[in-house]
Amino acid sequence: MDVDLLYNIHLEETFGIYIAIYFYLTGLSAGSFIMSTLAYGFGLLQFKPLGKLGVVIATILLVAAPMFLLIHVGRPFKPWHLFAYINFTSPISWGSFLLTLYPINSIIYGYFMFKGNMKLTKIFGLIGIPLAVAVHGYTGFILAIAKARALWNTALMPILFLVSAMVSGIAMMILVSYIRDRFFTKDKVVNTSLLYTLGTILAGIIVFDLFLVLSDVLVLLTAHSEAKEVADLLLYHNFSPYFIFIENLFGKIIPLIIIVTPRFRSIRGLLIASIMVMIGIFFMRYVVVLGGEHIPLI
Amino acid sequence: MSKKRYGFLIDLRRCIGCHTCSIACKSENNVPLGVWKSWVKQIAKGEYPNTSLSFLPLLCNNCEDPICVTVCPTFASQKREDGVVIIDPHYCIGCRYCMAACPYGVRFINPHLKICQKCDWCIHRVEKGVPPACVDACPASARIFGDLNDKESEISKMIATNNVSVLKPIMGTEPKTFYIDLDLNAVDAKEIKEEH
Repeated sequence: MDVDLLYNIHLEETFGIYIAIYFYLTGLSAGSFIMSTLAYGFGLLQFKPLGKLGVVIATILLVAAPMFLLIHVGRPFKPWHLFAYINFTSPISWGSFLLTLYPINSIIYGYFMFKGNMKLTKIFGLIGIPLAVAVHGYTGFILAIAKARALWNTALMPILFLVSAMVSGIAMMILVSYIRDRFFTKDKVVNTSLLYTLGTILAGIIVFDLFLVLSDVLVLLTAHSEAKEVADLLLYHNFSPYFIFIENLFGKIIPLIIIVTPRFRSIRGLLIASIMVMIGIFFMRYVVVLGGEHIPLI
Repeated sequence: MSKKRYGFLIDLRRCIGCHTCSIACKSENNVPLGVWKSWVKQIAKGEYPNTSLSFLPLLCNNCEDPICVTVCPTFASQKREDGVVIIDPHYCIGCRYCMAACPYGVRFINPHLKICQKCDWCIHRVEKGVPPACVDACPASARIFGDLNDKESEISKMIATNNVSVLKPIMGTEPKTFYIDLDLNAVDAKEIKEEH
C-alpha cells in the first residue's frame, strides 16, 4: 500500500562527527597504551621500543580527545556539573571519571618510565590497563545503552569498540615506530623484527574484528524491523560505500591480505597496510555513530 | 489521597489534524523556531478511491521507566513524584545523550540556550490546576489529560473502556501517553534523507 508522509518535523542530529572523532582518538589512545605496557608491564622485552612511544602518544591523544566533547556539548563551560551531580547509571558519568584518571595515570606511568624506575613503572602500567580498556569500553556502552537505535543497542558494541581500538592502535604503533626509527634516531636503522611481529598481531586482531562485524550484521539482518532497516542502510543504501568498501574492504580485508601474503611481505607493505587500517577504523567510527542515528526515530 | 500519576490520552477518532496543539504549545512554552515540543505527523495512504489521512500527534510520553533519566549524567532529566519527566535547565550541559537514547525523538536542543528541552505536559500549568495548553486548545477535544491513579478521572475511564496503545512498547519504557485508534502506518512512515 502507498503511504506518503505529508508532514513531520526533522529530528536533529544527536552525536555527529565530533563524537566519531572522539571515539577514534580514545581508541587510538587505549590501543597504544596497551602496546606500551607489553614491555613495561608484562616484561615482553621485544616490545620495549614501544614503551615510551606508546605512553607519550596515549597521553597526548587522551588529552586531545575530550576537546571534541567540549566542542560538541551545548554548554562548554558547564561540564563541571558532571562531577558535581553524578548519576551513576549514566555511562557519561563513568566516562568523566575515566577521562580524568586515565591521563593522570598515564602521566605518572610515563614519568617513572622516563626516570627508569622499573618497579613503579610496572605497577602504574598494570593499573593503566584496566583504565585504558575502560576508557574505550565505556564509549561502547554509551552507544549500547542508548537503546533507541538498533545499530547501537547491542551487547557487542563495547567489545567491537575495544577490538577496533586495538586494531587502530597497533597500526598506529607500526607507523609511529617506523617514523621514529627512520627519521629521529642517529643510525636510522628500522627495527624490522618488531614491525613484523606487530604486523602478525595486527593481522590476528583484524580477523577477530571482521568476525565481530560479521556477527553484528548477520544478527541485524534477522532481527526486528528497525534492525533490518539499519542493516539495509549499511549494506545497500547511503552508508554502504563507507561500510563495505572503505571500512571493511579497504580498511580490513586488503591490509590483511597484504600482511599475511608472503609475496607482499615487506616493510613498505606493512606501512601501507597500517595507513589503510587507520583510515578504515576511522570510517568504522563514522559509520557506527552517523549511520546509527541516520534513520529517523518517528 | 493516593499519589498522583499523570497520564495523557489522544483520541485519534476525534483528531482532525488541525495542528492547533502544536501552535498552542509553541506560544505557551515559548518554543523557538525550528523545534517543536509537540507536533502532528501526518500521512496519506492508499490509492484513489480507497484513501485516507492519518494523524499522529506526538509529544513526550513521560515514560514510567524513562531511559533519558537513566542516561542523563547530571540529573538534569528527572522523574517527578507524579510521573512527569522534567529537564532542569540549570543542570543540563547539552551533551545530547538523552536525545540519542530517547526512542521517541521528542527531545531537541534549544537553539538559544543550547540545552535540551522537551514537552513536560505543561507542568507549570498543571501545578496550578489548569490542563496543558494543547489540551485546552484542541478544538475536537481529542486530547485528555488527567490522573491515572484516580479511577474516577476522565482519562482513567477512557482508558478502561477503549482499545488503547502506546508508541514502541518494545522499548520497555512504559510510555504514559496513550492513543486510541493508533495507525501503525503513521508510526512507521519515515522520511530518510538522501545525501548522495
